[in-house]
Amino acid sequence: MNADPYSASRRYFLGQCTGVSLGSMALSTLLCRAASEPPVETKQGLPSLPHFAPKAKRVIFLTQSGGPSQIELFDHKPGLEKFAGTELPDSVRQGQRLTTMTANQKQLIKPAATRFEKCGRSGATVSEWLPHLKSVVDDICFIKSMYTDQINHAPAMTQFLTGNQIPGRPSLGAWASYGLGSENQNLPDYLVLLSKMQRPSDQPLYDHYWGSGFLPSRYQGVKLRNAKDPVLYLRDPDGLPRHLRRGMLDGISDLNEMHLSTMGDPEIATRIRQYEMAYRMQSSVPELTDLSDEKEEVFELYGPDSRRPGSYAANCILARRLIERGVRFVQLFHPDWDHHSRLTSWCTARCRDTDQPSAALITDLKRRGLLDDTLVIWGGEFGRGVAGQGKWDSPEAGRDHHPRCFTMWLAGGGAKAGYTHGETDDFSYNVTKDGVHVHDLHATILHLMGIDHERFTFRHQGLDFRLTGVDASKVVRQLLG
Amino acid sequence: MFRPLVVVLGMVCIARPVWSEEAVRFSRDILPILSENCLSCHGQDESHRKGELRLDVREAAVKKSAILPGNPEESEIIKRIVSSDTEEVMPPPKSHKAKLSEAQVETLKRWIREGAVWGKHWAFEPPLKAFSEGHPIDYFVQKNLQVLSILPSPEAPKHTLLRRLSLDLTGLPPTPKELESFLKDASSSAWETVVQRLLRSKHYGERMAMWWLDAARYSDTDGFQSDATRSNWPWRDWVVDAFNRNMPYDRFTLEQFAGDLLPNATEDQKLATCFHRNHMTNGEGGRDPEESRVDYVIDRVNTVGTTWLGLTLGCTQCHSHKFDPISHSDYYSLTAFFNSIDEDGKAGTAAKPYLSYKSPLAEPTLSESQALVEERKPKETSARKAAEAPFEAWLAQRRLETSQGWQSWIVLRATSLQTAEGTQLTQEPDGAVQSSGPNPNQDEYRFNAKFSAKRITGLRLEVLPNETHTHGALSRGATGDFILTDLKLQVRSIGNSQVRDILLTDAVADAMSDKKTNGGYGDVKDTLDDDPRNGWTTKGFNNTHAHIAVYALAEPLTCGDDDELVIELRQRSTLGDSNIGRFRLSVTAEAGDAIHGTDKTPREELAEINKIQGPDSKLRARLFGEFLADHSPYQESKIALDRANRQLTESRLATGTLNVMVLAERKEPRRTYVLQRGVWDKHGQEVHPDVPAAIAPWLEEEERTRIGLARWITSTRNPLTARVAVNHLWQMLFGIGLVRTTEDFGLQGERPSHPELLDWLAVDLMEHGWDIKHTLALITTSATYRQNSAASPSLMKRDPDNRLLARGSRFRLPSWMLRDAALQASGLLNTAVGGPPVRPYQPEGVWEELFMGRFKYEPSEGSAQYRRTLYAFWRRSIAPTFLFDSAQRRSCEVRNGRTNTPLQALTLLNDSTFMEAARELARQMINLPEPERFPHLYRNTLSRTPTQEEHSVLQRELDKALAYYDSHKDEAKKLLQFGQKIPEPGTDICSLAAHTLIASMTLNLDEGMTHE
Repeated sequence: MNADPYSASRRYFLGQCTGVSLGSMALSTLLCRAASEPPVETKQGLPSLPHFAPKAKRVIFLTQSGGPSQIELFDHKPGLEKFAGTELPDSVRQGQRLTTMTANQKQLIKPAATRFEKCGRSGATVSEWLPHLKSVVDDICFIKSMYTDQINHAPAMTQFLTGNQIPGRPSLGAWASYGLGSENQNLPDYLVLLSKMQRPSDQPLYDHYWGSGFLPSRYQGVKLRNAKDPVLYLRDPDGLPRHLRRGMLDGISDLNEMHLSTMGDPEIATRIRQYEMAYRMQSSVPELTDLSDEKEEVFELYGPDSRRPGSYAANCILARRLIERGVRFVQLFHPDWDHHSRLTSWCTARCRDTDQPSAALITDLKRRGLLDDTLVIWGGEFGRGVAGQGKWDSPEAGRDHHPRCFTMWLAGGGAKAGYTHGETDDFSYNVTKDGVHVHDLHATILHLMGIDHERFTFRHQGLDFRLTGVDASKVVRQLLG
Repeated sequence: MFRPLVVVLGMVCIARPVWSEEAVRFSRDILPILSENCLSCHGQDESHRKGELRLDVREAAVKKSAILPGNPEESEIIKRIVSSDTEEVMPPPKSHKAKLSEAQVETLKRWIREGAVWGKHWAFEPPLKAFSEGHPIDYFVQKNLQVLSILPSPEAPKHTLLRRLSLDLTGLPPTPKELESFLKDASSSAWETVVQRLLRSKHYGERMAMWWLDAARYSDTDGFQSDATRSNWPWRDWVVDAFNRNMPYDRFTLEQFAGDLLPNATEDQKLATCFHRNHMTNGEGGRDPEESRVDYVIDRVNTVGTTWLGLTLGCTQCHSHKFDPISHSDYYSLTAFFNSIDEDGKAGTAAKPYLSYKSPLAEPTLSESQALVEERKPKETSARKAAEAPFEAWLAQRRLETSQGWQSWIVLRATSLQTAEGTQLTQEPDGAVQSSGPNPNQDEYRFNAKFSAKRITGLRLEVLPNETHTHGALSRGATGDFILTDLKLQVRSIGNSQVRDILLTDAVADAMSDKKTNGGYGDVKDTLDDDPRNGWTTKGFNNTHAHIAVYALAEPLTCGDDDELVIELRQRSTLGDSNIGRFRLSVTAEAGDAIHGTDKTPREELAEINKIQGPDSKLRARLFGEFLADHSPYQESKIALDRANRQLTESRLATGTLNVMVLAERKEPRRTYVLQRGVWDKHGQEVHPDVPAAIAPWLEEEERTRIGLARWITSTRNPLTARVAVNHLWQMLFGIGLVRTTEDFGLQGERPSHPELLDWLAVDLMEHGWDIKHTLALITTSATYRQNSAASPSLMKRDPDNRLLARGSRFRLPSWMLRDAALQASGLLNTAVGGPPVRPYQPEGVWEELFMGRFKYEPSEGSAQYRRTLYAFWRRSIAPTFLFDSAQRRSCEVRNGRTNTPLQALTLLNDSTFMEAARELARQMINLPEPERFPHLYRNTLSRTPTQEEHSVLQRELDKALAYYDSHKDEAKKLLQFGQKIPEPGTDICSLAAHTLIASMTLNLDEGMTHE
């Protein structure tokens, strides 16, 4: 952690070491300065990283916020029908806490509202609601035995992304950005894309989900907005041409350099560099978000919604473009998987939003040769319970939150393709084999990125913090390809 | 900027020689050595203990002969430390700890020789005033520097000093006039005079409040999912006032803890207790309110710990503290003081207890808003009046146009028809689209049409019966009724691969079922929200007749001939089996009533009566409405008036009786328990109100109430509170506290860089009756404070963070201060104090994005826009966007990060407030003779005049800008078209634009954004 990439500027040392005041020395050159851009510097991560050769150089995290139903989507339980409408046995429930939404109702079993099929050579079970995903199951590693400690959205999502349910810890992406740096000098290392929805979402996406916690704030995720300014304040005002903005920055830089030579504070040199980075981002970000150079067949691959800027599908295309530009960590958020009611209209809506684009992203990365070293992660903060919420046999019934088991999937980046990990009981209620705690998943993701989670720490308030916390957590070897 | 902590630790551990005239003190001199070098293997943590030796407890160390009091040479600890045998020496080489210095060894020896007197962690020992002479701050700082052979820096230039002091004490830079009078004042008391002047300023309280609001996690909304607005801002004004009146810190504490319990409590004393209600409140569905209530109690205790005691009490929520002497039950005994508030864990408008309060400070806002309405109302009236003449001409044209009959709605012809699930669609000659073939449970119809009209304001959907449908009704589904869940309108231009969503703002229908009795389906407006759990149905109405829905576009759509309209009819209801059987789509170009009703449009009506007579007054009104809806000169003044009216409504609410969240005890006290592992409903042993004895014993004369707690906190026997308070003040003035970890004075926090100074100030604060202004005056009149902040390379290398205080502190100003400074420099600042929150400029759509449109942000208009940032509306889930590195106000924060990122550069370059300030500065500049322009700019923004070299750079960029704008007047105009103070006619806008850029450049200089 001594490796602060921002050391004092060359000119500063030049001025100081030769004992010549920069102001007088440079004035003649300043006045006829050409509008040239200063050289680009490399932004590196920690010198000690990676600990070993990484399989995944980059990550795309397709975060499904709200808790997708593993029962409807992946965790097929053919035996459930015969328990339909009966009370969930205490031997299965084992005192599991419920939210107040269902705490006072009987826990009556509601079988999956959908049919399943065994797909691909690997024979993974996938719901009829995800027809496109079926075509890429052999590239996917399913984890059916995920579990978490939290039962409400915000704490669960906070733990899912930062390792702790209390806001204030760095997000997985911030850790990656801090540890590994970026291969792109014109874009932040960690970018966040939120689906644009038409209705108010029930679970706000708090910015601490991609926050840097106690890490320096430049490692926090930068949210790309679907607006005129993809990054806040990115766009120069109308009527300000590029060459005058360049001139202003030259002026700022020259005046700051003069000041640096009297004050000797390296922070001024950093500021000069950050203004230059801001200038570069003003071209690199719009170039990135403008999809007009994508071929027609790309939109066909990702589905009709990909033509709509801000949609999950369009964001999947953006994610691929970011990966192509060497961005370390891209995180998508798709809200409203919180299906307390009406699975057939509400859950299916989210499936339609995401199924084709998620599958297309795998196909697209693969054909471009990027899937081998890009890890794609799909999943939400928890799963859903087997009991129906509302009248169990009504089409209006839904499911409450469930932390004890849920399904996620990984693809590419060294994850074992065509493999399904872990098992749950007959009620998709408890993990029966190979449970994977959220911390284990984090340890495994870091491992794929070449990082030993136990050795990757940050000292804060006198303690060495790590993403995976103090309790024992492990890399799940079976998930490695 | 982030600096590695390692450096810091190294710095603090610079050996402190023991002054020969003083006795060794365990906490100051010994514990740091033991803690740094020995305790990780010989401390309280059993699992890591080596050789079964503890050095954190005297008895254990003596028993094992590690320490033999009075006999250092024979003490094992000394023998091992000085050993040259690599197998013997401590700390062992493999621990990678450095060998102890000779000075450290000498200190240990002396301590053992003097009897190895044990003590507590420094912060738990009572602070003592050590000997000092001259200015105590300079005495302690220089004593340390002398030992290290470092010279203090000379005094900073006068202009720098005044700027530093003004920003520190009021959060605002000096005005040119203040600067001039200070520069002129050659008297020996000039500095003291200006310190006193600034401490008397009404802006002093505002500056101090910004510190306190961060600690208090103050916000104008609840946070969490619903993030409802609350009206606790009168408490913020109480804080400003308390600081301005220089309320002693013990009183300040007492009123906020227990104002409601004081005898004959005043309104304001009750108001003060809002401090402990500023936590977030959670109204998330599915959450047990009792769990939330417990969270709030815990939040209060943690906030007390961080703000007053400098302890991370949060650690003891789940278990006894690993480092500090606070046990699990100590923690819950503290919660007992706050556990019987008359609250029930609810949020929003149900977050009792409330104080009904009318703010005396709301009135000016009301009159300001009223004035704005008064100003805009006549403009709207005259615009309406002015519209009458063109309306007559327009009406004549319409009459002519409609004389042969009129059709407002033009039927759309499909270029292609698609469905998602397999329904077959065919368009017939009359434009109706008929379904046939498969009848899936759900489907989406996609209707593509060439854009046949130049302009579209509305879309009409007719759902038609047909004999092929069930019962000859509207659908082929079982009941013959249809459910439309969503309708979407998009435009795609030829050659463009992307589509544009067209926003629909209104939907009306001729018939709608009651959604409460139809499983959520009924209201046609629900087809706008992309939520398939609701939508439009006419079930229950005659279903063998056609039904009509009309959609209004947010703004008229105008496209080229090649544009394609895509209309999607989504039928994804929960039960399904109710797809539309037959439908027709039409568009209109008319505004007003035509698109907000399903009856005849005004023009259709006109066409009918045209032949006989002119329109009657009712129809004229409808037609005038249509005309105005499209008449942009009128719309401009109408929109401006509407906004002023909304602002007025808000101001009215603010002047009324407000519900401010405060503390009040419930009749029946609750029992308090230890919560096992911190889980809200896992009760352990019962506890009663008490304080951690390790800090200070309870004051026996006090009752165990919040009053008693506040008195215990500010008792002179409490070793923490005064130290923590002066450290806060020090941090405010120097960027870093004497204890860097402002939030943690415990064993895991950093030790003070100048312990004697910290203690001296703490004792002095208590001796002066907790007078904050006294302490601030004391610090700012020291030579230490007034040093130049320039650093030589060797000093920078030796002490990058300026912990030794051999120079003035240099650090980036908080972002709120940057905004306030820009407003002050440009003369835009509205100096009103207090009142309801305002909304400074921020980019469009940031609230809408987070809440998907549920909250809309409208920047304040009129002079309300230029209030200080203290008054900016704080939405907990999305803090004002122009504030970087600020506290999040979700939980108590007493130390903000300070980073340096490209995003900050973009904010300061492009945020409207900073651009508007630049434009104002430019306006002032161009009204001055040329030679005075740059000096004016620099005086206002940097409190000095530019050097010749700087002048050249400014001139160089100004010339470039002038050259461009002189030949691009339209661009200059564009640049200046934003915000409120748009240049008046007759302004030389090319020059104004060019100077605006130079002013913006200056506002972006490192010097301007830095405390130096």
